[in-house]
Amino acid sequence: MSTLPAAGLDPLPSLADLGDDAGRKRCCASVYEHPAVRWLLGDELHPGGEATTRRALELAGIGPGDRLLDVACGHGASALLAARELGCRVVGLEYGARAVQDATAAARTAGLDAGVSFRRGDAEALPFESDIFDAVLCECSLCTFPDKARAARELRRVLRPGGRLALSDVVVEHSELIAELRGPLAVLACVGAALPRSGYEHLLADAGLSVLAVESRNEDAAVLARRVHDRLRGARLLGVELMAGAPLATADAIELVARAREAIRAGALGYAIFIAGG
Amino acid sequence: MSKPAIAEQRWEPGGSLGRTESICPRCKRVLEAELLEQDGRVVLSRTCPNHGHFAAVVYGNAARYRELHRFDKPGAAPLERQTAVVGGCPHDCGICPEHAQHACLGIIEVNTACNLDCPICFADSGTGPRGHGFSLSLAQVESMLDAFVAAEGEPEAVQLSGGEPSIHPEILEMLGAAKARGIPLVMLNTNGIRLARDRRFAPALAQIGVHVYLQFDGFEAATQDAIRGTDVTAEKLRALDRCAEAGVTVSLAAAVERGINEHEVGAILAFGVEHAAVTGVFFQPVTHSGRFRLDADPLYKLTNPDVIDAICAQLPDWFRADDFVPVPCCSPTCRSATFALYDGQDLLPLPRLVDVEHYLDYVSNRAVPDPAVREALEGLWSAKAAGGSAPVAERLECVACATGMPPELRDVAARGFMVVVQDFQDPYTLDVGKLRKCCVAEIVPDGRLIPFCAYNSVGYREQIRAQQAIGNGAP
Repeated sequence: MSTLPAAGLDPLPSLADLGDDAGRKRCCASVYEHPAVRWLLGDELHPGGEATTRRALELAGIGPGDRLLDVACGHGASALLAARELGCRVVGLEYGARAVQDATAAARTAGLDAGVSFRRGDAEALPFESDIFDAVLCECSLCTFPDKARAARELRRVLRPGGRLALSDVVVEHSELIAELRGPLAVLACVGAALPRSGYEHLLADAGLSVLAVESRNEDAAVLARRVHDRLRGARLLGVELMAGAPLATADAIELVARAREAIRAGALGYAIFIAGG
Repeated sequence: MSKPAIAEQRWEPGGSLGRTESICPRCKRVLEAELLEQDGRVVLSRTCPNHGHFAAVVYGNAARYRELHRFDKPGAAPLERQTAVVGGCPHDCGICPEHAQHACLGIIEVNTACNLDCPICFADSGTGPRGHGFSLSLAQVESMLDAFVAAEGEPEAVQLSGGEPSIHPEILEMLGAAKARGIPLVMLNTNGIRLARDRRFAPALAQIGVHVYLQFDGFEAATQDAIRGTDVTAEKLRALDRCAEAGVTVSLAAAVERGINEHEVGAILAFGVEHAAVTGVFFQPVTHSGRFRLDADPLYKLTNPDVIDAICAQLPDWFRADDFVPVPCCSPTCRSATFALYDGQDLLPLPRLVDVEHYLDYVSNRAVPDPAVREALEGLWSAKAAGGSAPVAERLECVACATGMPPELRDVAARGFMVVVQDFQDPYTLDVGKLRKCCVAEIVPDGRLIPFCAYNSVGYREQIRAQQAIGNGAP
């Protein structure tokens, strides 16, 4: 269980920062490295937690000794899992500096720092040579990248021929989403700029990847949205602002999540794993 | 579920969920028994060579029943045992060396007289001749408390019951005697009539530091009539207001019976969270023992999952079935509980913020979770807990702190409102395997500690009543 610090949090970027691509990346990274968000979402920061990570790695056939890149790795929960349970050699890439520090410390604490390393970087310009990874993992983050096509080409570029991409992400049918779920804050919350299933398939195909399998994980989305809704209600009930200076007050966040839960129930919003070959 | 006429019921056993022992509800002999799945419920089945086949629903949801073993905490022994193994369980109670668990809660029935004549009374108490039986002396109660302390060391909870204990002339002294032994949670199990009629009673309880366990079955006249034989709602409400004025905390205890008041569980809970005196609600499916007079069929008995589902159906914005986590100390089928945070508008069960199931799972965990948090949760998910008591507040604060709640959350979390669903066994539902882990003990005048469900089902209640009546020279 993650810990909420009582005080001393960095101020969060303002809503105005979401205006340009660089601001959006910065804002996104600082929100997801915030301890309160970790408390809300769980350490894995994505629907389904460890179970969905294991499933994605299993579907992609990732195994011992594979050289794995985890793009937008957050605090490193999945990277550490792949090293611990599958014996992968893992590099975790993350835009947020604080998350990279946390992940590096966690690897050391777990005694996994020989096989796992973390570094800062941008998914749209991966700081790696081409064709060097056996597998790439990218969980619940492509949806937030401003230039998804460019990011997809980068994922393809670093993957060796015959390598596997395990992508999991929020799946949305935009035509059915209400306006509240398409605004800048919803983008930050992995909903507003997420694609339909066919959108991801086309994106990967256009980047030169062939989609091998798609597995729906809508129940994971429902469970995570419920957890976040409950924890935000808990904060409101106890009169606490989880994120001082956040672009979104707790009460507004509760409304946003309530709308997202309705969309999940209506089938307009879900989660899926995509496996693609390089 | 609508109830078919008895003649239309067919007995169709399903898959086995395990073997155990039970008793014949008539002659009380011990019988081999089987737990079977039938229509998605768990049924206890056995045959007496003299009295035939008996079957009773013991858990209304077989799928959840199969999950419960995870919450079965290994038993913890008492400091002392009072009886030897002679006839075999459940005929040696008191506690005998075969019993697997110490007592978290001790109950002392101080009298058999009552100021009501409830049709469902498992203690067969009442007014007039029905109440003839016994009335313990202060000295007797003191020696019983001493026996409990000797067995438990530092017991945390005791409840004085009856009869109607509030009409015993020395009840305040008895409650004081329990407090004087350092027991933090001293409860008075009452129908509230004296609290309503005697203005001095609530302040006297407040002075001693007593927690009131108030029978409170619903608001409808028909419910009151069926369960209590008269409409006492107005007096209950007056009793509660007197407790609030005096600063006495109260747990509402609702006897719930299928077809009578299961539709009122949500209203009772919603009322409880609003009332200044109320710190928790206990829902108890009605026990079909003692003077139970309603038309009851053991195959249609209400059980814990039925009550939990009724709560969730009636208060869907507040509760889900998995908010109710089984209490691991006794058999996890006996009791499920949750703690709720409430701010006057929204209510959130604590398990939404803390993964209680993870900490109280004794089977699936690869690594033992934080032992301090587990220990605190074991003290909360326990028969010794009642909302608003000092040990509960301390443990809630420990849990809130250790699981990452910031300091300003902890104080509010510590005010957690307790909701318990607890099913006691009767001669039809008695599972001897479960009984061995019972952690609620009837403390009786001869110093024995008899597991509560054995006391009500096997014949001990009648034995003690006869013994005491002779001792008192009463009819």
